[in-house]
Amino acid sequence: NEELWAQSVLEMPKRRDILAIVLIVLPWTLLITVWHQSTIAPLLAVHKDDGGDSQRDLAAGLDSKEYCLSDRDIVEVVRTEYVYTRPPPWSDTLPTIHVVTPTYSRPVQKAELTRLANTLLHVPNLHWILVEDSQRRTPLITRLLRDTGLNYTHLNVETPRNYKLRGDMRDPRIPRGTMQRNLALRWLRETFNKNNSQPGIVYFADDDNTYSLELFEEMRSTRKVSVWPVAFVGGLRYESPRVNAAGKVYGWKTVFDPHRPFAIDMAGFAVNLRLILQRSQAYFKLRGVKGGYQESSLLRELVTLSDLEPKAANCTKILVWHTRTEKPVLVNEGKKGFTDPNVEI
Amino acid sequence: YVYSRPPPWSDTLPTIFVITPTYTRPVQKAELTRLANTFLHVQNLHWVVVEDSPRRTNLVSNLLEKAGLNFTHLNVETPKSLKLGLSWIPSHTPRGTLQRNLGLHWLRDSFSNAAPPEGVVYFADDDNTYSLELFEEMRYTKRVSVWPVAFVGGLRYESPKVSPAGKVVGWKTVFDPNRPFAIDMAGFAISIKLILEKPHASFKLEGVKGGYQETSLLKDLVTMDGLEPKAANCTKVLVWHTRTERPTLVNEGKRGFTDPRVEV
Repeated sequence: NEELWAQSVLEMPKRRDILAIVLIVLPWTLLITVWHQSTIAPLLAVHKDDGGDSQRDLAAGLDSKEYCLSDRDIVEVVRTEYVYTRPPPWSDTLPTIHVVTPTYSRPVQKAELTRLANTLLHVPNLHWILVEDSQRRTPLITRLLRDTGLNYTHLNVETPRNYKLRGDMRDPRIPRGTMQRNLALRWLRETFNKNNSQPGIVYFADDDNTYSLELFEEMRSTRKVSVWPVAFVGGLRYESPRVNAAGKVYGWKTVFDPHRPFAIDMAGFAVNLRLILQRSQAYFKLRGVKGGYQESSLLRELVTLSDLEPKAANCTKILVWHTRTEKPVLVNEGKKGFTDPNVEI
Repeated sequence: YVYSRPPPWSDTLPTIFVITPTYTRPVQKAELTRLANTFLHVQNLHWVVVEDSPRRTNLVSNLLEKAGLNFTHLNVETPKSLKLGLSWIPSHTPRGTLQRNLGLHWLRDSFSNAAPPEGVVYFADDDNTYSLELFEEMRYTKRVSVWPVAFVGGLRYESPKVSPAGKVVGWKTVFDPNRPFAIDMAGFAISIKLILEKPHASFKLEGVKGGYQETSLLKDLVTMDGLEPKAANCTKVLVWHTRTERPTLVNEGKRGFTDPRVEV
């Protein structure tokens, strides 16, 4: 009897053990199997890294990814689809960035606008206002704008000849692009109602500068006027606003005339559309503007120094470069031209 | 829906391997930034960036990591003796040669001739301008494809001469049109298969006359009548040989005005 009892005691734990083993091992097996799937691993990494830079890993196609939120046995499955469109889909919640670009005909024009467009095509809710310095809107620009797929407005105004040439000492040239930028400001004021709450930001982007994608996200939160450093201006690696510990702009880190009211380059600030609409008489001054004072001529009508919002990590990062393109050598075209003038460059 | 940049990789599209030599100078980061902004639209693009430096720099490493592109980061320093650019000697090592050759070497190391991937190699300098259309033109290159390039040879553009039958029969250039391949670095692409088939084809390092660098590679790969004309039989300009001005930094003075820790 004792033997039998002993035997059955030995047997019962075996069955219990097997059941225990199964109940313990099975979930772990499932978990390990799931862990091995590449779809899950990067998502787990997402949870760790806050998802910021996992895009590259996850750009593995339009596969739907799933992750499991386990919360007291409740499992939610969320499908994330990665889509690429050019430009990105319009969003109802992002303020629109109105990029004002004056441009003029010259050999490198199409190249400049092409690579600028390639940058702008990544920015959501961007509206490109291209203003030609010309008598008429040219077919080159018309075609280019249409082919990019960008949201755009195509304007033109010709800077009068005598303003373009040097000569009259009392009345120096209007800085290039002024009439074109002012036309864009006028267009914005005629198109948008200041009581209409369509949030927007206005940014003046010349066609030969270089813009990082980060810059556009920095300026999107502009409440009045935001500012940041610009590379390759003022004879320096960069010029920058001076920002104090409280995060307020109190001066300008420049060598050239740091006492200008706004010692900043055209590419170094953005203005909230609301402010443009409210101060409807604020324009870039056309005549009698000293070199380097063009930006001040507009900004002093819009904002004071203390109202400026510093971006780009309190003005410590460079997100825009004032690059300039060399004039190409076309000496071999000769007098009569060698290449086919019907081929557009 | 999450906007993906670059576009998702496709299993069926041929890969475009873009080899870009680059070197440290003030505008380097700006050039690579706007170049990356263009490449980020191109599907199945793999960027091979080759620095002319003794070590891979943080600036380029960080830029490549942040951009999100599929990339390979290499470096090889051009020896000082070659860099001296002794231009009174008619032959010299044009800039970028060692770097482009290293890019080719990496491709040959990474892929086997037995199972070559579908794709092309394109040499893209960091200051040129590329349309998105160009990459789709070159994607299906069978051997070597060619197209016009703006702002080279002292012209609005140089272009291959294409016969009505669609074959390349010459070169529309003023400068030395009798070169075997009177074409700019940015004007051609080579299929990976061909690169792997001819493992000894490289850019010649020394004794290369001005304008003959492209020839030094292409002559070992293809003959003129084997070229595939693209861009509407070479009537459209899809790439521009732009050059960026050197910025004036005169106000930095002797000791420097700006904070050197702020990366430009």
